[in-house]
Amino acid sequence: MTDTPFSITAAGAPPKGGRASLARRVLPYAMLSPAVLVTLAIVFLPMAQAAWMSLHDYLLWKPSGFAFVGLKNFATALSDEVFWISLKNTAIWIGLTVPAQMLLGLVTALLLNQKFPWRPVARALIIIPWALPSVVIALMWVWIYDANYGVLNEFLLRMDILKTSIPWLADPDTALYAIILTLTWQGFPFFAVMILAGLQSIPRSYYEAASIDGASAWRQFWHITLPGISGVLVTAVLLRTIWVANSIDVIFVMTGGGPGYATYTLPLYAFIKSRTNLDFGYGSALAVMFTIMLLGFVILYLKRAGKAVN
Amino acid sequence: MQRTILAAALAAGTILGAGSAQADETVRFWYHFDNADNPMSALVEKFEEENPGIRIEAENIPWNSYYDNLYTSIVAGNAPDAAMVKMFAQPRLLEMGALEPIGEMVEAWEGKADLLDNLLDLTKASDGNTYYLPIQYVVLYLYYRQDMLDELGLEVPGTCDEFRDVAMKLTRDTDGDGQPDIYGFGFRGGKGGHDHWGSFVLSRDVSFEPGGMLTEEAIAGTQFVVDLFREDKVFPPSAPNDGFKEVIGAFQAGKTAMTIHHIGSSADMVEALGDKVSATTVPECGGGRWTAFGDESTAILSSAQNKEAAWKWISFLSSAGNNALFNEATGQLPVTRTDSASWTLHEKRFVDATVNSLPFAELLPNVPETSDFVNTVWPVNMQRALTGEITARQMNEAIDALYNP
Repeated sequence: MTDTPFSITAAGAPPKGGRASLARRVLPYAMLSPAVLVTLAIVFLPMAQAAWMSLHDYLLWKPSGFAFVGLKNFATALSDEVFWISLKNTAIWIGLTVPAQMLLGLVTALLLNQKFPWRPVARALIIIPWALPSVVIALMWVWIYDANYGVLNEFLLRMDILKTSIPWLADPDTALYAIILTLTWQGFPFFAVMILAGLQSIPRSYYEAASIDGASAWRQFWHITLPGISGVLVTAVLLRTIWVANSIDVIFVMTGGGPGYATYTLPLYAFIKSRTNLDFGYGSALAVMFTIMLLGFVILYLKRAGKAVN
Repeated sequence: MQRTILAAALAAGTILGAGSAQADETVRFWYHFDNADNPMSALVEKFEEENPGIRIEAENIPWNSYYDNLYTSIVAGNAPDAAMVKMFAQPRLLEMGALEPIGEMVEAWEGKADLLDNLLDLTKASDGNTYYLPIQYVVLYLYYRQDMLDELGLEVPGTCDEFRDVAMKLTRDTDGDGQPDIYGFGFRGGKGGHDHWGSFVLSRDVSFEPGGMLTEEAIAGTQFVVDLFREDKVFPPSAPNDGFKEVIGAFQAGKTAMTIHHIGSSADMVEALGDKVSATTVPECGGGRWTAFGDESTAILSSAQNKEAAWKWISFLSSAGNNALFNEATGQLPVTRTDSASWTLHEKRFVDATVNSLPFAELLPNVPETSDFVNTVWPVNMQRALTGEITARQMNEAIDALYNP
């Protein structure tokens, strides 16, 4: 369809037709422009503003002091202990959550792809964690982890796995991992559904041919299933990495970053700096730094993963 | 044709505009109440009846983000006309130029003489002006389980040493599984817990001045709190993350035998525990006592459209009768002599503990840094100290660095 106006112009249409083709060429832009303008206003404008603010000393409660300081905020971040703690936590956060969600999602999808009674019901039920609001999930898991009444401690104590109950969220050694488990539970249905869709697009005949050739179940999985869903996996991992990296709601509700800095991730640190300490200059600098890092990671990932898929 | 429509629209707009200017004056008021059944509507109704021509738009803003919302609304030019405010926010609001001086209006106000002593002095700004009109107050005290003390034959602790001793004895394994089921003290390690810490530390020879947090006394105070958790194990293991909800919930459920809070929770405490709960002043630590004065005032914002109407509304809330109605809703204490004299909402033992605590009740320093102390520096460093990531000295150093950069 987009070719049509181009081909008319290229054919050297008469003046009347030229006007029509101009209108036809302008029309798509005219129809797109409201969406583009809205995106510019609510995405790019704040982004540019954040980048601009990151170059300034800007405490919200000192409206008079909006001074240009160049890269000072960025230099401060590099020598800020909390920045490095948050960066380390962010790496653990993404590095454990996304693969865990993917593995759990893969296993679930393989199971749901088998034939068994009530399969449609199971497929519908599996989506529940994904459909629940993050705040509900966070509050629910806070109770599960509770040191006094929590069902997790109760269960482990009765199984004799633990001798004393552990305050999962109040212990800096376990808090981050406890939240990672929560987020894994929340996010795995996304992978399951995506992978299931990928699985269903692999023709049955491939498997039949493979079993005639005597391929084991494992080799069928490795040589047919995995290549068949690799495209879906690459996209799903990319999306999830970006979402997980930026997700602060569950952490914020469960621990607020504590105890100490044990569950601070970079986006959360940027949020607390800006929203609670009202230091929008430094907060913006943290956000800009994280955006650049994430962007670098995404580009690297797409290059390598793209190659692997091809 | 188009021009006609435009003209008509303009005319309609003008008429509408003029119409709304002639209608009621509106005062937008922000407040925060913990309890869900909204008592503000009764007060608004009463006020609007007495003051025809003024309309009150009262909005309950959730406490957790109350000040975030207030500051950002001021910067965004969408601030309310009047708001409920605490002292710790005053320096920042002043710095933002967001507060309207109300000293003259207070002087001319007939209700001034009925305000309790000192409240206006306590809420005076560092520049000597009056911006706040007190509306309620509380003082923090020590809740304890009378029945548990009786059972073990223990006395109510009066000093920090006695407190530690009693807390250790109250920490017990009641079902014989080798784990404590009751902890001596419910410590609030999350946001808002600085009042607990203050009673054990600020009672000593300690200050927020340069070096004031680095004296041996000051470090010993923080160390005392850390040891209660790490060595004596008299706080529940979840203490580092515990906030208001957890601390009050654990006490009501009998998981803890003592905690620190104010009269605002006494009704719920009695409902859960009846006569088993009582209260006294916080213990004397290091030769002195310190407890937090929980202030709450109202203020008019400098951006208010109609300051006179806003003043009428806030002075209405701090007048005898109305103030009682307001405090019955919040569960705190009225600021007028008339209402205090006839106050029957709280049980006597909690009112006594409050009154006995007044002589040493204090506010945190009236400087902009206190906001960061309350919101991030205290909770983060207390949690790190409690979990052994930093020492008591390092925690005090962080506080010193905040106040004396």
